[in-house]
Amino acid sequence: MSLELKKVVIAALGLLFLASLVLVQKLEIDRRAVESHLVAEPIVVPAASKQCVDCHDQATPGLIDHWKGSTHAQKGVGCIECHQAEKGDADGFDHYGAHIAAIVTPLDCGRCHPTEAQEFGASHHAKAGNILASLDNLLAEVVEGSRVPMSPHSPTPGRPDVTRVNGLASVEAGCKQCHGSKVAMLGKDGALITVDDLKPDAHGKPTNLAVLADVQRRDGKPLMDSGTWPNTGLGRMNLDGSLGSCAACHSRHDFSARRARQPENCGKCHLGPDHPQKKIYEESKHGVAYRDLKEHMNLGAKEWVLGDDYSQAPTCATCHMSGNLRNGGKVTHDPGERISWTNRPPVSLAMDTDAKHAVIKETDPEKRAALIADGGSSWQEKRQRMTDVCMHCHPQDYVGSFYKQYDDLVILFNEKFAKPGQAIVAALRGQGLLTPQEFDEEIEWTWYYPWHHEGRRARHGASMMAPDYTHWHGMYEVADRFYVELIPQAREIAAHAAAGGKQAEADAVTKVIDDIIARPEHAWSKRKE
Amino acid sequence: MTHDPTAAQVTLAPTVPARRSFFARLAGFAMFASLVASYGTFAVMAGRFLLPTHSRRKAWRRVAEIGSFQPATTRTVVAPSGERIVVARCAINGASTPATVTVDDFVALSSTCPHLGCQVTFEPQHQRFFCPCHNGTFAPDGRATGGPPFEAGQSLPRYPLDLRANLLYIEVPLDGVAG
Amino acid sequence: MSKLTSFLRERLPVDRAKLRELTNEPVPHHLKHGWFCLGGTPAYRFVVMIVTGILLAFYYEATPTRAWESVRTISEDVAYGWFLRSIHRWAATLMVAAVVLHQMRIFFTDAYRRPRELNWLIGMGLLHCTLGAGFTGYSLVYEQLSYWGATVAANLTDNVPWIGALLRRLLLGGDEYNAHTLSRFFVLHGAILPVTMIGLIVLHVTLIRLHGIAELRFKADQNSAPRFFDFFPDHLLTELAIGLVLMLLLGVLASLFPVPIGPRVDPLLTPDVIKPEWFFYVAFRWLKLFSERAAFASLGAIVVVMAAWPFIDGFIRRRRPGSEASVFVGIVAVLAIVGLTVWEALVAH
Repeated sequence: MSLELKKVVIAALGLLFLASLVLVQKLEIDRRAVESHLVAEPIVVPAASKQCVDCHDQATPGLIDHWKGSTHAQKGVGCIECHQAEKGDADGFDHYGAHIAAIVTPLDCGRCHPTEAQEFGASHHAKAGNILASLDNLLAEVVEGSRVPMSPHSPTPGRPDVTRVNGLASVEAGCKQCHGSKVAMLGKDGALITVDDLKPDAHGKPTNLAVLADVQRRDGKPLMDSGTWPNTGLGRMNLDGSLGSCAACHSRHDFSARRARQPENCGKCHLGPDHPQKKIYEESKHGVAYRDLKEHMNLGAKEWVLGDDYSQAPTCATCHMSGNLRNGGKVTHDPGERISWTNRPPVSLAMDTDAKHAVIKETDPEKRAALIADGGSSWQEKRQRMTDVCMHCHPQDYVGSFYKQYDDLVILFNEKFAKPGQAIVAALRGQGLLTPQEFDEEIEWTWYYPWHHEGRRARHGASMMAPDYTHWHGMYEVADRFYVELIPQAREIAAHAAAGGKQAEADAVTKVIDDIIARPEHAWSKRKE
Repeated sequence: MTHDPTAAQVTLAPTVPARRSFFARLAGFAMFASLVASYGTFAVMAGRFLLPTHSRRKAWRRVAEIGSFQPATTRTVVAPSGERIVVARCAINGASTPATVTVDDFVALSSTCPHLGCQVTFEPQHQRFFCPCHNGTFAPDGRATGGPPFEAGQSLPRYPLDLRANLLYIEVPLDGVAG
Repeated sequence: MSKLTSFLRERLPVDRAKLRELTNEPVPHHLKHGWFCLGGTPAYRFVVMIVTGILLAFYYEATPTRAWESVRTISEDVAYGWFLRSIHRWAATLMVAAVVLHQMRIFFTDAYRRPRELNWLIGMGLLHCTLGAGFTGYSLVYEQLSYWGATVAANLTDNVPWIGALLRRLLLGGDEYNAHTLSRFFVLHGAILPVTMIGLIVLHVTLIRLHGIAELRFKADQNSAPRFFDFFPDHLLTELAIGLVLMLLLGVLASLFPVPIGPRVDPLLTPDVIKPEWFFYVAFRWLKLFSERAAFASLGAIVVVMAAWPFIDGFIRRRRPGSEASVFVGIVAVLAIVGLTVWEALVAH
């Protein structure tokens, strides 16, 4: 091999080596791009919480680990900052040199997050605990359980401690875990001490100090009623008078915004036969796209603005709460701000709300307008906010036509089934053919399903683009229930009443039913009778 | 010189046309350039390896809720770098009420001397900060009162503070050997 | 310019002609064939190891609490850290391979025979230093293998007659693996072994230079062909080309198969499958074949025989001139090494 040839070979090899180094540089750049977000900021335990962390790292290491993964830990917010209680707080107690409370309420969170606490406080979410007079409450407390004290009727082998039956078990482990409990301390006489007894002032300090002396304590720590705590229900009624629990969505102790942005988080409560919003979402194209593209959606971003941080798919939070480019990135903690129908009651109502954020039930148009003008807001404003979200991906006329489809479905349900169903049951009750007690007669159950379960599924299905929920799980079942059960049962009650000598009452009810069935939309079913 | 390479080449290739020598020089140049480029790139990568990735990282940390931070008191913040930073709230002078608190009511002095970077210590008996390296002294508000920093008109640096939603934040270094 | 030249000439009294003669070693013609240049390969790897090793040492921290984390930092945080670490690791693997191949070449071409017995001994020293550097190297990463490898090796040291326990305590810096152990390995890996190797390499090359490279003549070579060629520039160019091929190989291996970082040491959990680096597979399998003491003693004996082979071989050939014993022994040894290595590689336990 001549020297020249060798030199050429060396030159070629050098170029190859250079090429391999260029490949290395490319790998390095790719790696940087991926890993630059992964370096976590170091955590320093704030001095005031050092003692807490030292001890709880042994006692409850998982809890400390969760906290260490939180933004709170990164920003220097430790245990004391949230758990500290002031002297005079109802549930405060001394714990190794610190005066703390176990339950952290929106009043506590609101010290640092005032806007969020205020928005949440105004929301329907915060009022979720007010279910005392509702039908659902009656079901759980009376139909499923018992409001009167109960004793076991035979021994439970191996459990001699079972001497009483808690009739409210279904309420406590069921309803209240979503709706929120009325947090109670145990009194010395066994009575429960709640916010109603403490009468707290605006700062959460109890004004009725006498009742505090009655609280049962162990090592200074007040004993909580197990029926009301543990509880992270969204509408929890706290001892300091505040409503709600931020941990309902921002689970302690990592308080992850990332998690709250995911539909699974809402699915803790928005599930089941009566409002399966999470399932509806999963059936929709939105949910399908989310499952596919979740990894690319920057769910951990600081602001998570639609159109900026992501645009692959919306989650529950995207449409109902999170910021977007068109609204300047404004997040709201009141999910009702963008909802234009309330589909909760038997007959859907337009979401005109008054100054107290309550749905306006007034029928007179002028009075409605006055209430809206007086600090309230109209359903049109709310729909505009939602339209702003939609329009990140869909053109305006497309969104408008979608809303036409949704409105049409809601109005169809209202007019064809909800109002007639309500009228028939009201007629029966008005004529004294039903007892005032709910759920003691079959037709009361029959009427409960089409509006509370099936009708809501239909309306929610239409609102979030889940065709199967709109039709088969929704309107089909409503119709089936209406024609096959409700109408025959109502006629049977009337016939029975007539046979029992209540001819006038029976006639009145029959006239209501006949008038409804005579309407063109029901006429098809008449031939059968 | 028993093994003179030029002599060997001359004997092996007695006639050297000009063209050949041009290619020989081209080959030599190509080899040289290729070697410098490849090993040079490797050396640059080694240099990049040794170069620190980024300057000191910083982050905003919460100091306190101003409601619980009384005037004329101090708070100690431990930065992730291990530095202990004293944040002071100035005494209320006349018109200032809690409703009109601004971030200027708070001071967080660095304990790093602006002269050559030594750590100053507070001497309560003299009500001053003292730098042991070159005898620099500073008033409690951070103004230099003696030594080289005074001659240069320097003060103790301040950590950036921010006041948002009734919360006082401080920008602190994240990396350091004391942490 | 001439001023500077004369300035330097005066202060560096080196005769250029003499220097040229000293360094321009006559190279036997058989080295025109690249595969006879295997001795230069480990030397080149050694330089790569030194360069990358010094770079890695800028970030490595030899304490049990920080070692694994610092290796992770090198691999994940520092620019090109993964690449340099992978180069270091791949160069180590290839260096061991090259040393073994070089030794086999020397053995089968009889280049160890009189008068070159001493250089064979120095070569054996280099082989063991290389293996030692490999062992201490992977002990530094502080992944599971690092800890358990070191623990097992330390306990094996116990079998050295008389001074076993002492050696073990010296190696570990205590009765068992402790906070001082890692710094001992680091000093061995980063200072003692490399410096020893530099010394041995200098001796090795000096002896080669003094004896001249063992010359081989092939039948195909015409007698008229020159028997030697120049080191400058001819052989240097060959070595440069080989160097580039080696760098290219390393660059490609390191970027296609970057070295991962295993799980951090857990002194309470020995992994289900635990094996040393591949170059210890022979010894590892050997130890599983016999009782610990017998295996250890036989390994020791084999090493002694290997080192003393030039003298044993000389003895045999004096008794029976023309004996081909060394070839047979060599073939058996190579087959055994390859066989045991493959065996160990194929089974889990």
